[in-house]
Amino acid sequence: MNKHPITLTINNQEYSITVAGHHTLLQVMRDQLDLTEVKYGCGRGECGACTVLVDDDNEKSGRKAIDACLALAATMDGKKLTTARGLGENGDLNAVQQAFVDESGIQCGFCTPGMVVKSTDLLEKNPKATEEEIRFGLEGNICRCTGYVKIVDSVKKAQKVMTKNKKKK
Amino acid sequence: MPSSRILPEFELLMPQSVEEAVKLLKKYKAKASVMAGGTDVVVSGTQGFATEAVISLAKVPGLDYVKFSKSGGLKIGALATLQMVADSADVKKNYPALYKSAAINGTPQTRNMGTVVGNVMRASPSGDCACALLALGAKIVFQGPNGKREISIDEFFIDYKKTARKADELAVEIKLPAPKTGVVSAFNRITRTTLDLSKINAAVCLTVSGGVCKSARIAMGAVAPKTIRLIDSEDLLKGQKISDAILDAISASVGSQISPIDDVRSTAEYRREVSPVLVRRTIEEAIG
Amino acid sequence: MSTSVVGKRIPKVDSRDKVLGTAEYAGDIRMKGMLYGKVVRCMEYSHARVKSIDFKEAMKIPGVIKCLGPKDVTKKGYNTTIMKLLVPEEFCEVFGEIAEMFIFNQHVKYQGDAVCGVIAETEEIAERAADKIKIKYEPLPVYMRASESRKKGAFQFTSLKPGNLAGEFDEAVFPDNAYGWPDADTGKMGDDLESECDVVVEGNFYVPKQKQCQMENHAYVALYDNRGKLHCWTSTQMPKPVQVLLAELFELPMSRMRVFQTVVGGGFGVRLGMIAEPHACAMAMAVPGRPVKVEFLREEDWIASETRFPGNYDMKMGFKEDGTPIFVEANFCADKGGYYTHGNGPVFCAAAFVHGMYKWKTMRQKGQSYFTNNVPSGAYRGYGNPQTSFVQEQLVEEACGKLGIDSIEWRKKWHKSIGDETWLKGVTYASDDLDGCIDLAVKDIKWYEKKKKYAKQKGKKRRGLGIAVMNHTSGAWPMLLEHTVCTAKLNEDCTVELMASISDLGTGGHTAMTQMAADTLGWPMEDIHLNSGDSDVCGFDIGAHASRTVYCAGPAIIEACESVKKQLMERAAQILEARVEDLQMDSKKVISVKGNSKKSVDARLISKQGVYNFFDPVSGKQIGIPGQIQGYSSFLANHCSPPMGACISEVEVDTETGEVKVLELVNAHDIGKAIHPPSVEGQLEGGAQQGLGFVTTEDIYYDENGLCLNSDFTDYKMPGPSDMPKAKIILVETAPDPIAPMGAKSCGESALMGPIGSVANAIADAIGIRFYEAPVTPERILKGIKESGKTFE
Repeated sequence: MNKHPITLTINNQEYSITVAGHHTLLQVMRDQLDLTEVKYGCGRGECGACTVLVDDDNEKSGRKAIDACLALAATMDGKKLTTARGLGENGDLNAVQQAFVDESGIQCGFCTPGMVVKSTDLLEKNPKATEEEIRFGLEGNICRCTGYVKIVDSVKKAQKVMTKNKKKK
Repeated sequence: MPSSRILPEFELLMPQSVEEAVKLLKKYKAKASVMAGGTDVVVSGTQGFATEAVISLAKVPGLDYVKFSKSGGLKIGALATLQMVADSADVKKNYPALYKSAAINGTPQTRNMGTVVGNVMRASPSGDCACALLALGAKIVFQGPNGKREISIDEFFIDYKKTARKADELAVEIKLPAPKTGVVSAFNRITRTTLDLSKINAAVCLTVSGGVCKSARIAMGAVAPKTIRLIDSEDLLKGQKISDAILDAISASVGSQISPIDDVRSTAEYRREVSPVLVRRTIEEAIG
Repeated sequence: MSTSVVGKRIPKVDSRDKVLGTAEYAGDIRMKGMLYGKVVRCMEYSHARVKSIDFKEAMKIPGVIKCLGPKDVTKKGYNTTIMKLLVPEEFCEVFGEIAEMFIFNQHVKYQGDAVCGVIAETEEIAERAADKIKIKYEPLPVYMRASESRKKGAFQFTSLKPGNLAGEFDEAVFPDNAYGWPDADTGKMGDDLESECDVVVEGNFYVPKQKQCQMENHAYVALYDNRGKLHCWTSTQMPKPVQVLLAELFELPMSRMRVFQTVVGGGFGVRLGMIAEPHACAMAMAVPGRPVKVEFLREEDWIASETRFPGNYDMKMGFKEDGTPIFVEANFCADKGGYYTHGNGPVFCAAAFVHGMYKWKTMRQKGQSYFTNNVPSGAYRGYGNPQTSFVQEQLVEEACGKLGIDSIEWRKKWHKSIGDETWLKGVTYASDDLDGCIDLAVKDIKWYEKKKKYAKQKGKKRRGLGIAVMNHTSGAWPMLLEHTVCTAKLNEDCTVELMASISDLGTGGHTAMTQMAADTLGWPMEDIHLNSGDSDVCGFDIGAHASRTVYCAGPAIIEACESVKKQLMERAAQILEARVEDLQMDSKKVISVKGNSKKSVDARLISKQGVYNFFDPVSGKQIGIPGQIQGYSSFLANHCSPPMGACISEVEVDTETGEVKVLELVNAHDIGKAIHPPSVEGQLEGGAQQGLGFVTTEDIYYDENGLCLNSDFTDYKMPGPSDMPKAKIILVETAPDPIAPMGAKSCGESALMGPIGSVANAIADAIGIRFYEAPVTPERILKGIKESGKTFE
């Protein structure tokens, strides 16, 4: 049987579904669960439009960024996932998303959900990332509109805000 | 036509243990492919290549390790991601060639998914970790129906995407020798853009004592049907004091050992022209 | 306190929607009962005739609804573009018959040409069924370059265009098939003047088949409803013209053809006109009452949607010893791809932007497009101008070198300016501060200091600096129709709904329009909403092309809002028994008599009473002035105010590997007035990435059979975040255009040219070798170094 019953927790909501073995996480999220903020850009892990966070005990932050197009949904059974819609609390924006809004790090917006998820991961992993590290860390998320200038600016802005918030705490 | 959105249909098998995985391999042999991170198997699927079955290691516990000891060397489990290897301070310190080949491999996302063992098993002639591990003299541990088998990476690459892995074997670990005094290594590659597959890559691992090269392993990728060692260049270097003259001689020796082709990433002519430069720079980087 | 928002760095109107991922692109649409359509494309050949199509096996798959072949859809031919809507009918004759494309083609003219289609319950079933359709082909000879297809005896692509000549500068419009002007004094052309020149430079260039690579794949949903109306949700850049094109193709009145533009995930020209709207609609018409979705795969983007015009671009220039530019002669022979689509459009514009740049005594440029067996070349940001930058700016630099003249000073002295003709004859510049742009860029990058330093450099890595200037356009008037209609509906709570079919491809156009409306009314932006994209709601707009939105659509927004304001003031005047000219409205919408603030009326009350115009039973009178206020504008552009700009790049060339690193890039742009500065900067920053791609990495490659070798991001390489220098953008607002709305000239396409020409020049500056083929890859650089015999130590 090529059907697999699985449970995914996405943005704190639990989904118990049955998926085909050859269906990717991207396909299942978009077509079965209607989570269309996860975008299909290339299907081959080159563009990062489908970037989501998945929980991982090996990571200090407890989660890491992956391409939903390269993961088979069935192999993700039991995982906790976060998309752009679930980054902030109660459907609000997180610091990274707010910085993208403030710095106009958004043009056509198609790469944006993946870009903010990736940037969140980047800053969680390396809060003190230099500009060079930010740029290298953003490889794998293609934007054809911005030349990455205002995206890098947005990440730097978010970095400042996050550092400040951390100090407050 | 193949589709980058919908994979060909295959049976997904998810064994719970290495033993179970090997049993499945014994049953399916070449009709099954093994999937660790998925970054190669899924991409092949989008290009229309799929085996009847895919054996995912997602539920096999205990394979996601990067272990290091000064006496025992490095052990990389089949599910250790490229990022885990790149994040290991021990790897960075003791095996700089491997560190770099993992740290620049693919994208942050694919590094979080793909594995070092998978990079070697895929046996793409341009594989970055494969090149570094060949220079570093890795050993590969397979688990088959009749138990474990360990081979040197020198025996692993046979021809274009053809390897010494038997169809019923699972690669469970890659090992590197314990670091010794004077052993240095480096890895370099040339790409079209930062994020890319290698046009060509090179890795060296040298034992240097008092400016003299005691032993040398030089590997190159994307210049032949498989990742290769430049034995003639190694021989030129062994026992020699590393000087400009010897580096010139090594550069001059590269051409006869490679057989690059034209493809969409570069030309044979370019690869031929730049291979000696890359080898030389990588040796220079290794010796610092 | 002023509430003005124009020129302010405010968040874009759509940013929250996009940052959460809730913005709905066409591929995100889900509808009740939706089916999936798959366009079956010829993948095996780039030129072939379809001998037979067998649907039998495909139809056996459960869930397959219908298979459609050429006989099952309209047999009308079409052209994907709006060529015939943009120009007068007499002029259309110049194009000849151009509707030579069919929904499903029996003569396959490029790999990826549509042959038939499948409709199924799921996308996966449609894909599986497509693989089961048996199609037999008869291969035809393959021509990948114009130089091959134009040869005598070559297979004829279509009887409509003899010699495979899709288009050239038509003799009827362009005497001698050329664009330019003769020497005003002597009437002589370049050939005659060459002998009088002291320095002549020339070059045979190749320009690449660059791909737009917008991040959103093309997607469509179509529904033929049970009242006989066809609906199409699409990511097109031109919803209104597409409505016309589809209505024509399916022979429906416009009242029964609705086009709805979804959020657009980038365009860059690829979505000018139609791509697979005809296929989605044809499928929908085959299953009335059920929506059908057609969504491209990423790989389909390269093989089935248009690219930049590639080809051979030859140019020659002559100068007097003192630098006086005498003549420029050029010919651009382009590989058109399989179909006419944009014809020779970008080839003409390549010439036009030569026309708009320097004060030659005479200019003569020709151009032809020949059919070839690759995906049609079409519109891509810059529309001919990037090609011109690569060619013209390199030759100018070379000439200045030979003349021993500072190329910065030469450009400042000889570029066109106020009163000179722009890209189009008869249309003159009304504003210009290119000199300001050049000066700022030169200063910012420390041009002269660095030049001096690099003159003495040694070693295997060499640095170089390059400059390029450019002119572009703000809308395409008077060559093409520039018309936008805007209705501004005043809601009963005194907020405004603007209805205008204005496309925002990510450019910030909707933000800029809302800002312009807010400033016109003097109200907060929150009180204004732009409703765009629905052809049932909006009046005409040509769509997003030719860097037109602010310049050509902006005035429609302003006029419609002015009309709303005027009507409010007139009613207030009636209520207050005052003269309109004595009234003023504040940002809180209170209208008062100037100098007597007590004599006032709230515009909100006027708005409300215009709708809720009750009859007072006591007084027996109506309360307030009846009628809901609407402003309206049907704005036709009557001028063009092109922007200019200067860009300087610094590169480092590794002479052992041929690798080029762009270290710095400064682009100063003569914007006039930046309505939304972050958006203007964003256009120029993003364009720099596409420009650097053109000049360093991007081209589509084909094998000897014409099959595409790099239809994915794995092998179609664009500069990534680590490859990009931090592009520095300088917005020059010293020359607001007297004709442009609020002084604003365009910026959408302007961004590519400077980076292309300047990087090409910087590479030549670094190693003393000039490259005539783009992209200037490491392979080409090493080859060039080898051939030159140069050594770098």
